[in-house]
Amino acid sequence: MTNLTNVLVPTSADDAAAAFGDGSGVTVVAGGTIVMPDIKLGRLCPERTLYLGRAGLDRIERSGGMCRIGAATPVSALVDGAPEPLATFAAHVGDREVRGQATIGGNLCAPATATFSRGDLQAPLLTLDARIRSAGSTGERTDSIEDFLAAGPDGRLVLEIEVDEPKRAASASVRRPHAHAYTILAVAAAETAAGIRVAIAGAGPRAVRATSVEQALADGASPEDAGQKALDDVDPQDDAIASGNYRRQVLPALVTRALGDLS
Amino acid sequence: MKAVGARLPRYDGVGHVTGRTRFVDDVRIPGTLWAKALRSPHPHAGIKRLDTSKAEKHPGVHAVITHKDVPRNVYGHLEALGVPADEPLLADDDVRYKGQPIAVVAAEDEATALEAVELIEVEFEEREPVFDIRKAYDADAKPFHQWGPAFPHFGPYASRRIRKGDVDDAFERADVIVQGVYRPQAIEQLPIEPQVGLSVPEPDGRLTIYSCTQAMYFSMGVVAAHLEWPLNKLKFVGGTVGGGFGGKVDTATETITALLALKANRPVKWRWTREEEFLCSSTRAPWHMELADAVTSDGWLLGRKMITLHDAGAYTRFSSYGVTKHSFHHTGAYTIPNLRFDGYVIYTNRSPTSAMRGFGVTSVSYAVEIHMNRIAETLGIDPLELRLKNANRIGDLTANRVRLSDPSTVPVVLAAADRIGYELGAEFKQMTSEPRSGDLLPDHLLTSVARDGGAETDGRGA
Amino acid sequence: MRLTVNGIERELSTRPLDTLLNALREELGITSPKAGCQQGGCGACTVLIDGEPRRSCLTPLVAVDGATVTTVEALGEPGNLSPVQAAFYEQYGLQCGFCTPGFVLATTAMLERNANPSREQILEELVGHVCRCTGYVKIVAAVEAAARGDVSEAALEAGATGPSRREPEVLVPGSPA
Ligand SMILES: Cc1cc2nc3c(=O)[nH]c(=O)nc-3n(C[C@H](O)[C@H](O)[C@H](O)COP(=O)(O)OP(=O)(O)OC[C@H]3O[C@@H](n4cnc5c(N)ncnc54)[C@H](O)[C@@H]3O)c2cc1C
Ligand code: FES
Ligand code: FES
Repeated sequence: MTNLTNVLVPTSADDAAAAFGDGSGVTVVAGGTIVMPDIKLGRLCPERTLYLGRAGLDRIERSGGMCRIGAATPVSALVDGAPEPLATFAAHVGDREVRGQATIGGNLCAPATATFSRGDLQAPLLTLDARIRSAGSTGERTDSIEDFLAAGPDGRLVLEIEVDEPKRAASASVRRPHAHAYTILAVAAAETAAGIRVAIAGAGPRAVRATSVEQALADGASPEDAGQKALDDVDPQDDAIASGNYRRQVLPALVTRALGDLS
Repeated sequence: MKAVGARLPRYDGVGHVTGRTRFVDDVRIPGTLWAKALRSPHPHAGIKRLDTSKAEKHPGVHAVITHKDVPRNVYGHLEALGVPADEPLLADDDVRYKGQPIAVVAAEDEATALEAVELIEVEFEEREPVFDIRKAYDADAKPFHQWGPAFPHFGPYASRRIRKGDVDDAFERADVIVQGVYRPQAIEQLPIEPQVGLSVPEPDGRLTIYSCTQAMYFSMGVVAAHLEWPLNKLKFVGGTVGGGFGGKVDTATETITALLALKANRPVKWRWTREEEFLCSSTRAPWHMELADAVTSDGWLLGRKMITLHDAGAYTRFSSYGVTKHSFHHTGAYTIPNLRFDGYVIYTNRSPTSAMRGFGVTSVSYAVEIHMNRIAETLGIDPLELRLKNANRIGDLTANRVRLSDPSTVPVVLAAADRIGYELGAEFKQMTSEPRSGDLLPDHLLTSVARDGGAETDGRGA
Repeated sequence: MRLTVNGIERELSTRPLDTLLNALREELGITSPKAGCQQGGCGACTVLIDGEPRRSCLTPLVAVDGATVTTVEALGEPGNLSPVQAAFYEQYGLQCGFCTPGFVLATTAMLERNANPSREQILEELVGHVCRCTGYVKIVAAVEAAARGDVSEAALEAGATGPSRREPEVLVPGSPA
């Protein structure tokens, strides 16, 4: 049964990892922008809660071509403090109040709903070759963002996200011109030491890399031709925000636009 | 004339900006319990078994009510107009829309009430739901409502009917017949204040009910009817509404909080969540409108045949009233002498529909205006000039036999054209609403203008 | 949980994972933050936390332990409105009033950061606030008037009671009144 009193408030990363243990029976609350409504509506009934807001995990450090971002860093801090295309994606999350409260860790771990995807920051993190440092039953470990997203956040407490500073970055998106628009579809592109990476948000339950587009680019394709390949990587579905058909029409153009801006 | 043209301060503005305005949810009465409802998860199902005993024993729960606790469970919004009742306050042996309330719990706080709702045991027998009004009207549709697929109480008829002039003759004489089907969908009114009500049992045996209703006296009557109480035992406090837009015309929370308050002998508040507001509250109805117009190649509307299907959702509520208003406006802002209109109220397994800004009229205006453009396109004539030509004028007779004394179609179309810089022909620019004469009084309009004849409606009731 | 609410330090017994909205409304009886959606989507529950606008429905109480919370009750009171309150009142930036506390607080915080916002900035900063009555035109006009300092004495003193109470003025010269 829901327990609103049993809340652990660790004051350091180590305490947080210790309190989290193997994660069983623990609900992590960072910004709470997803968790709190779920509790209110009885969709989530936490018995023991770990509140991350005081664990000192809210710092951004940029040095040596790298950027380290604490998991509980608010999205608003990324707008001015994080490399592109992460900063632009951060600026597009929700609204001012939500950005001030929502965290990057919560966005990375946001569960997709039945009706639409959440976690817009996953796409830029994919392009920046992010490494996810987390704690859990097997102790601390660092995963590539792709492995992390594939395995899902269960049993892991994200502590820090490390990304490369890109040489170049670009993005393109369709958003709805009113409040609280979750992104309909967005494309992030960046060139890091790992090469050019392209990722798509809004075309499935979580963001994915557009490897066919990347391959086409590597083979010398133009932005237009590479853009056409995007539909090999995703199969957009209808959801509460837009139709799959609409997304299929728009996606190649968005990819082309982002790639055009990249060069 | 102190107010017209003056910039008067809002009497409630200071309260709003200082947070002092007291909405229903802001009323604090010590000891208030919170209500939560068990709602149907199915759009259509039989209820085989309902057991609230575990919920009643749950710590912190003070009262649970089902249909058995309602002195008069079935009520109809239009009973005063002679329409029989069809909607239960709490579901009895079946549920007909997703979100229909079945049982309601009052507990110390919302979380406890929510837990208790989970403990209510109910067994459903799922049934095939109907969602599309057009399909619900098919000959082989299986109606679920005791009255059949359509509301049968328009006087002696099963539809709101308008018969005016000789439509068959108009269609004979027409150069062109222009047809169209229009289907606007449901819209949630979405006031920012969700439905909320607070009922307080008073020591003198009366009930004080804080209500966000848009229709105080109507709601009082509804509560009194369900409770089988005289009105003088109810004190309603209302008038501060956090937006309604038609969504707070139907009585949503008052009766249920009243029953819970009486059973628990404590004040009870019921505040809907945004989900409940979207999924369970009344919406503007979906409509299905089929129009066929008999027109001449120079742009006169000789006649119109129209069939409208209005989606009532699971129960009637105000639907027949909405369709009646709809019928009165089915010629839009234009004069058409020969009419045959049938408006049906169709039952589907959606949440019951109700008022929203221009109840019944917005749908038909939407259809008529698009249809006018379609006619203009078909005939290859200017869409604004088509409107001006057929515009209502002083002395014209409307579909429901109102003799117009101050119609505004002409000045409105002219002003709109002016604002958007639209060039109109000289004879149109000069047009006024003055009574018809000369070219604007062709033979086919004589009966519609000269005498009070030709129109026949079946009364003005529901 | 200890927090300073509208200038007064409070020790709250609301459970730490309950919302700040619930604590303010149910424990402290501060009812200007409204439960419009309780899921972050409307802005009616907005309060200032350490000066920044936040959704109190999304904020667990544990997150504001030691913080300063301001609601619209503390900005000004009848007879002594803040300039932003007076501008919303005078420019008709409200109808039913349910969204108004949120708008007034968000505007107040915005003007603290940026005394001269452009129209685009106003729209962008207030995008999370939903008003179903006004259509926003008058709200934006109110924000712009507040930014310009275009607020009348009468509006600042509106709602005063007692002997110094001013009669409401007819604000448009030449009106037939
Ligand atoms: C009005 C509104 C608009 C929104 N708009 C957008 C939008 O445009 N784009 C978008 O992407 N999202 C949007 N969101 C969703 C949400 O705000 C963001 O995804 C946000 O970044 C989630 O972060 P949080 O810290 O608030 O998450 P929380 O609610 O605290 O947590 C979310 C999930 O992640 C888990 N979690 C949190 N931190 C960690 C961690 N460090 N380790 C492991 N698990 C963790 C939690 O247990 C929970 O399951 C919106 C939300 C609202 C209310
Ligand atoms: S109630 Fe908090 S945003 Fe709507
Ligand atoms: S004034 Fe009613 S919602 Fe804004």
